[in-house]
Amino acid sequence: MAEKPQPVQVLYCGVCGLPAEYCEFGPDFEKCKPWLIQNAPDFYPEFLKESNGTETDKVSDKLQSTTISEGSSTSKPEEVKRLPGGKIKKKVRTFKDFSCYLKHANLSFKDKQEIIIEKVTRNKRKSITTIKGLELFGVKLSDASKKLGKKFATGASLVKGPTEKEQIDVQGDIAYDIVEFITKTWPDVPESAIFFIEDGKKVPAA
Amino acid sequence: MFKKFSTEEVSGQNQVKASVQRRIRQSIAEEYPLLEPVLEDLLPKKSPLIVAKCQNHLNLVVVNNVPLFFNIRDGPYMPTLRLLHQYPNIMKKLQVDRGAIKFVLSGANIMCPGLTSPGGALDVEVGAETPVAIMAEGKQHALAIGFTKMSAKDIKAINKGIGVDNMHYLNDGLWKMERLD
Repeated sequence: MAEKPQPVQVLYCGVCGLPAEYCEFGPDFEKCKPWLIQNAPDFYPEFLKESNGTETDKVSDKLQSTTISEGSSTSKPEEVKRLPGGKIKKKVRTFKDFSCYLKHANLSFKDKQEIIIEKVTRNKRKSITTIKGLELFGVKLSDASKKLGKKFATGASLVKGPTEKEQIDVQGDIAYDIVEFITKTWPDVPESAIFFIEDGKKVPAA
Repeated sequence: MFKKFSTEEVSGQNQVKASVQRRIRQSIAEEYPLLEPVLEDLLPKKSPLIVAKCQNHLNLVVVNNVPLFFNIRDGPYMPTLRLLHQYPNIMKKLQVDRGAIKFVLSGANIMCPGLTSPGGALDVEVGAETPVAIMAEGKQHALAIGFTKMSAKDIKAINKGIGVDNMHYLNDGLWKMERLD
């Protein structure tokens, strides 16, 4: 076997996500500047020269206006703090919303705890109802599927979704009775957290 | 093509069966022979290979929730830019001049003059209808992935109109979709 070429590590801008050298063509070069001065001075040597002069003042002014915490500390350590903080926040968010199928960037953290009910038709008049997101409320999925099967007297099974997320498939169209059932059996699930998918759109059940 | 692209365009994603997996792997290996040694790392046989079908006959090859390749209808597989940045030498490269960068990054197709001008560079061996990496004058990394409309010789000879279709560029929808789940 031939030698493995090592993957090249590319430096991506922490602000806009482009490779650092393309920041100047990115959506907001001005915002990237402070990050670039810190992390990728090689690409934009002209900044360093400027940064001794007026540029840093401007940049630090901007920084202070964007960060909430203001103090007598110099701008540079503050920036260092700010960046990892931002990254950690992002990571937390993505971790939480892996179970959320519809991504809405502006949804707040709590809204992502939701149950999504979808009806899939098979063989024209037979259907399957899938329930996603129950685990977010601390419900044991295997118990839930058993209860559902008993209640509706149909097959209910725990299925691994295409991307390793678990969902419950219940045979038959039970979309409308299921809201009541869920709220009754698991009182900590608010009705407002249950959504249907109709024609590819998310419709709240309540 | 990916100018506006989000998870909503994914109409379905399936774990494909082993024979299809093998076919995808084979066609990728054929197309990018330099990638073959690392193919096992990229598309491990153990972990499931998922093909996400999207609108406009577009398929994404997804491994561990990361989109790695895409193709249109039964066309050639093309790597995503993030993958190409890691293995920059797997594709033939065309270089555009500095003036074109701005337009390419907003999704424009690559016009011949941008490739033939002093800032541009052409690999003469590139034929028509092949996927290529679009590099830029004075930059190290690729900024787009294109699909040539005419061969490099024609680009030089005709020097007019669209030379390369822009398939995927920095900061488009697919670029922003680092993970698909």
